[in-house]
This record gives sequence, C-alpha cells and structure tokens, in this order.
Amino acid sequence: MAKSCTRRRRGSATGLVVSNAAIRPRFYRLQLRIQGSGSALFAQTQPGQFAELQVSSLSVPPADQIPDGLADVAQRQIILRRPFSYCDIEVENADSVRLDFLYCVLGAGTVRMTTLKEGDPVSILGPLGNGFSVPEGKKAAVLVAGGMGAPPMQHLARSLSENHGDIALTVIAGARDAESIPFATEPDGKDDAIIEEFAPFAGEQIVTTDDGSFGRKGFVTVHLENWLTGAKYRPSEIVIFSCGPEAMLAEVAKVAEKHNVDCQVSMERMMACGIGLCQSCAVDVKQAGSKGAVYKLCCKDGPVFDSKDVVFGGKRQNI
Amino acid sequence: MWYSVANDKIYDMSVDFVGLRLANPVFLASGTCGYGDELSDFLDMNALGGFVTKSITLKPRKGNPTPRIVETSSGMLNAIGLANVGLDCFVEEKLPMIEGLSTAVFVNVAGETIDDYVAVVERLAGEKGISGFELNISCPNVKHGGITFGTDPAQIEEITRAVKAASGDKPLMVKLTPAVTDIAVSAQAAVNGGADALSLVNTFTAMVIDIEDQRPVLANRTGGLSGPAIKPMAVYLVNRVFQAVGGQVPIMGLGGIATASDAVEFMIAGATTIAVGTATFAQPDCAMAIIEGIGQYCRKKGVSNIKEIVGCLQ
Repeated sequence: MAKSCTRRRRGSATGLVVSNAAIRPRFYRLQLRIQGSGSALFAQTQPGQFAELQVSSLSVPPADQIPDGLADVAQRQIILRRPFSYCDIEVENADSVRLDFLYCVLGAGTVRMTTLKEGDPVSILGPLGNGFSVPEGKKAAVLVAGGMGAPPMQHLARSLSENHGDIALTVIAGARDAESIPFATEPDGKDDAIIEEFAPFAGEQIVTTDDGSFGRKGFVTVHLENWLTGAKYRPSEIVIFSCGPEAMLAEVAKVAEKHNVDCQVSMERMMACGIGLCQSCAVDVKQAGSKGAVYKLCCKDGPVFDSKDVVFGGKRQNI
Repeated sequence: MWYSVANDKIYDMSVDFVGLRLANPVFLASGTCGYGDELSDFLDMNALGGFVTKSITLKPRKGNPTPRIVETSSGMLNAIGLANVGLDCFVEEKLPMIEGLSTAVFVNVAGETIDDYVAVVERLAGEKGISGFELNISCPNVKHGGITFGTDPAQIEEITRAVKAASGDKPLMVKLTPAVTDIAVSAQAAVNGGADALSLVNTFTAMVIDIEDQRPVLANRTGGLSGPAIKPMAVYLVNRVFQAVGGQVPIMGLGGIATASDAVEFMIAGATTIAVGTATFAQPDCAMAIIEGIGQYCRKKGVSNIKEIVGCLQ
C-alpha cells in the first residue's frame, strides 16, 4: 500500500481556546488556536493523526454541571494527558492554525474539559501517530464511522475533497441512537437523513442508528456490505477508511476482506504518553509470513492500521 | 561540566556518580524514555544527567495484553510486562543512536534466570556508548524473574554478584522493590553482592477494579503504581536506605518526581541522583524544568555545590 503521509516531526505548543461549546448533551466542540511558533508544525497534521491535550490542571465543574454517573470519577486527581483526533483543521495563515476537536464527556479528563473558556491556554502535543493514506489508483473512498469515530472522518472527508477531488466520497456514519451522533445535526428519523458536517464533502451519505431514531435502522456494516455489493467500481478501485468501536472495526474489516477491498482502520487504546514511551497502547498485529502476532504501538505505529493486519479484540476504557 | 542557572553566577550542577562525572543529577527512569530515541523531538537528551533505558532481555518480549495501564488518583498503574526488542535488536538498532549521545546511559537489564541477566550484561559490557547497568530485580508484572529475585536478600546478593562479575569495568546499579518488610536489608544484600549504586524505588504492586464488571481493569489484574501518589513513600525509603548503606554506595532516587521540589526532597533524603519517570509521560520535557528548578533552589539556599544537599536531612 502506498504511503502518502510519512511520519513527521512532533512537538509541543500552547493553544488558546477559541470556543468550547456543548453541541448536544455530553458532546462538546473545542476549538484551539495556535499562533506563532508551533503553528507550522500543527498545520501539517494529516487526517487520522491525533493530539495529546494537557487537562490535569483544569478544575472540576460545579456538582450540578457534572453529568449523571460521573460525580465519583470527577473527583479523581488526574495526571495524564488525553488523546484526541481532530475533526477539522483550519490553516488560517502562515502564523496561525485552528484545531477543532469533538469530545464526549465520559470521564475525569473530559468532565474537566467542559470548564475551558475562551482564551484559556491548553498545552498540546502533536501531530502524533500515522494518519490515513490514499493508495494509488482509487476512484472511490468509503468512510465508515461509528459513534465517536466520526470526528476524524470529518477531517478526512475535507482533506479528501480538497486533495483528491477525483475520488468519489461516500460516508456511512452510524451510532447507537440519535443522541449518540456526535454532531450538531438535528435528529431526523427519515431514511435519507444526512449529517450536515459531512454534506460539503460527501457525494453520498448513509446515516444509521441501531434503533432507527436517526437515519436508517441498522448497523453501518450492513449498509457497507450493501454499498459494496452494488458498487459500480472494481474492488481494486475502492478504499475503505474507518473509525469507531473496535467491534465495529472488526466487522468492517471482515466485509472489506470478503469484497477484497483495501481498508484502513483507526484504532483506539488507553495511552499514558502518546509518543512511544510508555508501551501501554499495544495493538495485536499479524506478523507477515507467520501465524503469530506482534504488538505494535497505537500511538506510534498507528493509530491507523491496514485492517488485514489487525487482530481485533481490545477492550474500551472511558477517559 | 557546568550548568548556568542565572546570569549573574554560574552554579556547579555536576555530580560524581559511580565514577562518572555527570552534567547534573537528573535522569529519566527506565520504562519512561524508551531507548532515548523517542524524546528527541521534545528535549535535548544530552542536557540530562543521563537516562536509563527500557528493560532489555535476552530474547524479545511481546509484553502483556491490554489494558496495560490505568490512571488512578495522582498516579497510574502499569503492567507492560517488560515488552522490549530483545538484546540482538537493541545492539543492532538502538545502540548506534545511543553511542552518539554524550549523556550517561544506563541499560536496564531483566531476565527470568541469573544466566539471562549475565548473558545480556556480558554482551554489552564492552560497548563504549553504555555508561553502566541497572539490574531490574523489582518488576512486579512478570511471572518469572523480576521481583522474585528482589524480595529475597540471598537471591539479591547472588544475582548482583553474578552480574557484577560479567559487567567488566562498567558500574552496576541495583533497582530495589518496595515490596519488602525492610528495604535496608535488600540494600545491604545488593551492596554485599558488589553493587556500585542503588536505585529506588520501583513501583508498588496495586489493583484497580472496574465496579461494573467486578473485574480488575488491567488484563494482568495487578500493576505497578507510580506517579505523585507514591512520592512520600519513596522519599522515606530512600532515606531509610541512605541511613543504612549511604556511606557505602550512592543512591538514585525515584518515585513520583514531577517537580524540582520533589527532586530536592529526594536529594535531601540521600539521593545523589534522581530519576523522573511517570511525569515525562504528561510533560515530555519535564526533566528540563526540574534541572532548572534544582539550580534555583541551590541559589536560594546559597549552596554553591549541589553535592552539599545530598543527605543533608536534619
């Protein structure tokens, strides 16, 4: 597989909060601006790469603003950074870049992040890891997103439409229910519902929820299978990019293999550092030429892997 | 070697440690700085007093299944399981980069049997880029070797003696576990076996339980607790060992150091050098601020040579 993005230099910078707003209960959009030194480094960020945000010094919100079920965990004194993929990056000028993140309030770090206000400084490490790459000869890309796997797909959709305009773009985005779609788009039970954030980039959108409360009912993998079956492209002309829960990625990988289509998946692991030091974010990867597997690091060797290489089965943790 | 901390005066931050002249007393701890190759985007490795590599074993080790870490209040548990590239790959791929560094590099050595340790040290004893060895007999996350050596004074002495005999002219530092009744007994055993220095402490065995699943969070069930949560215990243990064997060997103090004040505490307790561990995960260049801050402390206290604060506890 051709690699169009090689590993670049990483670094640290201070971003200032442009905005940090709830787009729906538990889901926030955080915008940071990096100006001056560091902006050029972050402007090079590729879709699928991620950042580590320092949130340990943030205060815990007042009790009435802590979501149900998080009162206990919010009291934990945190020390580690939190990794996030980007949902969008705007290079504003040669000296300024805006980084957008979508986060779901799930744990001690994200509950503190809700207190970030305009102008607050946030220490950020990036760009980290290896992003998605576009193999040669592709005419169609299918972006398969599940739940909180959707934000980096928005970044990828924009990048593909700007840099690979000749590739037809289809987005298949799903979530458990309407409330779990991590975008501001209003829930809509119609079969042809779309997510507005993808609309400028995707020629075709299929939105699904497990319970049918937004878009079509059913799993993204069923719709991926249908799409591939009816595709007007040869398998070698199609590439799948996917991000979401590991169980979903495992199914996407199976569908891709069945149809003999290239597929890249963005994996998630608990990580202490994000820069290859702690060795905690191991992903089981098949070893070429043998039945064995080796551990690769999600932060350094990934988070994007060829789906054929990954041995799925990791357990999710809330941060 | 000198380190400037103020425009008006130059302070001597250098320390002598196991026959090495170090630019300053600040190391990065084993398992938190890779083989020195991952951090160069964030700090100048040569500005450190030195660092200790991730554990090297005779054969590559895949390590434990995930989850391997979990954050706790003011700390974290890890159960990596000594995942490492193995001796051959270390020599081939990592050593050339290490040889290009001017800072002190200690190779942390682990194994399942005494022969494993000896084989690794024998192979590396003649390598110019390596300043010394750290004997890992305190890893709580592997079934064989590791902590099983480090909790029995007789075994500590035996393995220290065997590895020291294989290390040629390179100094040997023995890393102690806190999982013993009296760490001074472990320290004396290591000294009796020929240790040139002691590093302490390794992590404290601990568990975090997911109350929904009613299972441990870590795949290994238990892990080693590190971070600020363990610092006061580590400071005490360093002082305990300093009182017991401080006159015989120098100590590298570690355990939850995140600030210059933390580092100074360890030095006052008796550590000649200190190592930053978990804090590097959150702030990769944390050690630089600690070097700077130790210098500022010396200036404030009117200390002209940093050695004066080592073991000065009243």
